[in-house]
Amino acid sequence: MTTLRPFTFDDLFKFNNVNLDPLTETYGMSFYTQYLAKWPEYFQLAESPSGQIMGYIMGKVEGRQHNWHGHVTALTVSPDYRRLGLAALLMKFLEDVSEKKRAYFVDLFVRKSNQVAINMYTNLGYIIYRTILDYYAGDEDEDALDMRKALSRDTKKKSIIPYTQPVRMEDLHEADMQ
Amino acid sequence: MAHQGMDTALFERRLRPIYDNLEVGNNRKALQESEKLLRKHPSMLCARALKGLALLRLGRYEESHGCLQAVAEEKPTDDSTLQVLSFCYREMEQLNKIVELYQHAVKKNPGNEELLAHLFISYVRVEDYKAQQAVALQLYKAQPKNAYYFWSVISVVFQGIRGPESAVPEKRKIYLCLAQRMVEKHIREGKLESEQEAFLYLHILKLQKKFQEAWEFLTGELCAKLYPGAPVSMKFELLKVLGNWRELNELLQQLLDADRDRWDYYKEYIQSCFEILELPIAEGESEEKKFSLAACQEFLQGIIDTSERKRRGPYLARLELHQRMRAHQLPAEQLIGNFDELVVEYFTLFADKSCCTHDIALFLPSISMKQRQALANKLLLQSGVSSTSLPMNKEQMQKHICALQISRMCGAHIDLPIDHLLAFYTVLKLHYEHGRSTFGNKLLSTEMGPSDPYALLAANVMYDISLRENKSDYLFEALCLLQYVLRNSTSNFHVKLLSLKIYHMFGCLVGAQEMYDYLDIKQIQLDSMGYVHCQLLPLCGRFSGARNCYDATLKFFTNSYKERLEYIALTYRFCTFSKMEEFLNFKERLTNSLQYVTCSLEAQICDLVSCYGNVHQNLSAYSAMSIEPAEDRIAWHELSDNRDLDAIIRWDPLHQVDAAGECKDSFDQEIEVLQLRSLMLRLFATFIDLYHPPPSPKQSLNGDSKEETPAPESATSTLELLRDSWTGLYQRLRLMNYKPLPQQFLVNLLPTRLHLLLELPYERFFDDLAQLVLDLHSGAASLAAHCKQVGDNVIAIMELCVQTIADSNDWNGKDGLWKRRQQQQKVAASLEMLSLYAFLLSVLNDKLQVSSKTKTNKKKQADNKTQDTPQPVSDKERSQMVQELMRQLKHKLESCDAAIRSWKAPVLPRDLSSFMADMSLKPEVEATLIGDVSATFKDSHELMVTELRNLLKDKIRMVAK
Repeated sequence: MTTLRPFTFDDLFKFNNVNLDPLTETYGMSFYTQYLAKWPEYFQLAESPSGQIMGYIMGKVEGRQHNWHGHVTALTVSPDYRRLGLAALLMKFLEDVSEKKRAYFVDLFVRKSNQVAINMYTNLGYIIYRTILDYYAGDEDEDALDMRKALSRDTKKKSIIPYTQPVRMEDLHEADMQ
Repeated sequence: MAHQGMDTALFERRLRPIYDNLEVGNNRKALQESEKLLRKHPSMLCARALKGLALLRLGRYEESHGCLQAVAEEKPTDDSTLQVLSFCYREMEQLNKIVELYQHAVKKNPGNEELLAHLFISYVRVEDYKAQQAVALQLYKAQPKNAYYFWSVISVVFQGIRGPESAVPEKRKIYLCLAQRMVEKHIREGKLESEQEAFLYLHILKLQKKFQEAWEFLTGELCAKLYPGAPVSMKFELLKVLGNWRELNELLQQLLDADRDRWDYYKEYIQSCFEILELPIAEGESEEKKFSLAACQEFLQGIIDTSERKRRGPYLARLELHQRMRAHQLPAEQLIGNFDELVVEYFTLFADKSCCTHDIALFLPSISMKQRQALANKLLLQSGVSSTSLPMNKEQMQKHICALQISRMCGAHIDLPIDHLLAFYTVLKLHYEHGRSTFGNKLLSTEMGPSDPYALLAANVMYDISLRENKSDYLFEALCLLQYVLRNSTSNFHVKLLSLKIYHMFGCLVGAQEMYDYLDIKQIQLDSMGYVHCQLLPLCGRFSGARNCYDATLKFFTNSYKERLEYIALTYRFCTFSKMEEFLNFKERLTNSLQYVTCSLEAQICDLVSCYGNVHQNLSAYSAMSIEPAEDRIAWHELSDNRDLDAIIRWDPLHQVDAAGECKDSFDQEIEVLQLRSLMLRLFATFIDLYHPPPSPKQSLNGDSKEETPAPESATSTLELLRDSWTGLYQRLRLMNYKPLPQQFLVNLLPTRLHLLLELPYERFFDDLAQLVLDLHSGAASLAAHCKQVGDNVIAIMELCVQTIADSNDWNGKDGLWKRRQQQQKVAASLEMLSLYAFLLSVLNDKLQVSSKTKTNKKKQADNKTQDTPQPVSDKERSQMVQELMRQLKHKLESCDAAIRSWKAPVLPRDLSSFMADMSLKPEVEATLIGDVSATFKDSHELMVTELRNLLKDKIRMVAK
């Protein structure tokens, strides 16, 4: 039971019941302002009937030609509102926005170890497109999975033909900048 | 241009080392490099500007100012020089200078798109909408891009709704009309291109209440093409203001058919049903077929019956319908059924989800206390867990948790006798442990334990008992339990927040800091969550420890403050018209955050209290603060409450919780505290300034005010003015008769410092100090009497400190924790006053010693002029009096030190072994757990004593000359 609405600046002061959870990163101001200024329609929030923030999704649309796609930057759900299908609802929202923007596909990165999330995205129709080596820096670097789902514009499903080999970060940027 | 003829690439290569050094913060080297380059090319503007920047970064303000001014006077037009200058002016908050800079540049290069765009953004920074409009039109003329056209449109809109003329309704109307015409012209010419432009047009229509036109545009072809993602809520809003309830009702039915779990849709849908009831019968509708709420009920029931997966939406909507019907005195029970049964049904279906408690809580206020308690009992029964049984599975446990949380909200526990509450606590503890070992063993480190809510509830119950008994034992046990939970479920931030609160209540700053660090509060959270820790630190017992925390917070605020205008510039760059107002409001909210202002002020006070250098070092540190007491820099009416008070979860009885009231009262009191603290600092600064007039570079740096150093007379009058405000403020606050914040429940906010500041002798101390400073300055005959007065105050403060510590040691026999925080606050406040006084005396002494040696002759001349007034006390005598005061203070500081040395660490509430026997937790865990918690209290006390003694040592040294 959810209200979906655009994320506003005032929400930054109220999202602690979501962001105090260690799985959710609290970014610097310039990060949020950039998303709010550039892709406001991609920053959406789910609110409970009592007015609490249940979760939110942050994303963007970018790329050229056949690489024009929606991207999920952050998706988070408060511990109190898990197992309600909220993540699916927010993902559906982002996919709809990307459809309206005539994007070819939606993609996202996830830690290779985050099996819960990977299963969820798989259930939502995402495939593992490729592995990116040492994408997450840390005490021990971790690989990322680049997961994708084709949108209706990509009639031939060209965007989701998976790589056979993992890629490195440096190769990644070149490919994506095209 | 200055570097004309020189190859641009060469020019850039020469500048590169300066840029590089600035980038890595090597400002000294950057300065050398720029000077080296300027020896060869003395007229190179960019190099001169960079030199100005390096000087600025090195804190050599006057030189930097001169350097930048000289470059600006040459009216540069090249991008790199302009960028460097703008950067410097932004750093110095001289935003008007950037405007001037680009005005000149544009004049020299009319029609230059890039320069015009910079000029536009420089007007954005100073929020000059009129000028923005003019520049945007020039831009559009130079380069007919849609973005520029709409920059001018939004600038017109802002003149109507935010600018200085927006308060005049006719002006507002004119501007909005103009903006509308501008867009419509563009539409006619077929030039509307983007969704943000479409949004802006809708917004302009709505601002003028032209809702029908907005509706037509929104549902028209052009909007569908440009703005396919227009939120459907825009349609609701318009249908509502247009009173098209039937259409709204139909639209929502369609939407709900497709999307059955949307609360926003249900809410609007139910409202539309009630509105239709009020409407006259529609054409072609017979009396019998008149719309009734039965249709609404049927629709909701239909969704329930046809949904395969059980979703909360329609069930909650039904409860909402029930609630609203009752509010309208309509027969809800007859139409929908018994309310309790509906809630029980909801509970049966969804109580295995943790959000169920929040859901049911929504509807509790609409029923009587008696009904609430009866309902709570039904839910407990429904959960299937009795006082003698344990949950069979995780789902049942969650149901039980939900029922218990609701029970507390309904007030079922609050009036129980203490032995019942204790038994209840034990049950909760057992349930926690059982749930943890049975259902929580394969927990990921990022997951919360499924039975953690039992322990949270237990902590709340223990607080209730502690409060009734006025004893810390139970709450201390709760703290140990929470710390135990935290070991099992390291990511549970609720546990950290409650522990943090309890540590603060008990004055255990090391524990509090540990929990705070563990929460990893950062960035914007430093503002919204600062109230759980940072806001509680002033006068809590440690100065340098608190200072570190202010630092981390201030770093965030100063960075955001610097960047605040660039964020707004970003919305123009991307033409995000839908967000501009939000960005502007956000900027205000952050800049005027109470947390920000309080934190900056407390950091300054803290620095003055803890300064430890020689008198000249201290004075230069003081000057660097640029306090300027004559000027009240706080925008009192704009202060913003950014606290996220809802972040701390609670299930306290709804009828006894007034969250909005608590929020308002605490905010009001915090503002009063800020008034007191700000005035104290400014008053104190006038004392110093009278003897040590501030140098004027800060003023000349501003450029606009070329005032000379204030004459002593004006310093005296500022002092007198602030002194009157000081006593006036105290008088007002006493009359206001604020009540301390109620401490009824564990998650309530701790009392503000207001009552502490009213109770302790702050008012008198600084008032008398003001008199002393004035008398010393004039040499008035009453000087000796006022020295005595101040001396007596010092004795009283010392005695307060010593007595508080003696009390604390006494209390230790009964309860070492319950009053600890207050005791520490009193000691800290005493030392704060004495430390500021010590600094003041050291300054007075320094000045009077100098003047008694050198100014004897001048004094005589002055004396001749004022023959008819009594002979002022001589400089030498004044100096002796100050030295006598220093001797006295030193002695009293030593007494304080002796008392602090004897201050005993808090004795923890109960014999630990009996406490351990109480805890039905694993013995090996208990031992280390309680050991760790106890050690935290001990460390915290020792650290505080060390810090306070170091502070005293510095002050004793300061007055020992």
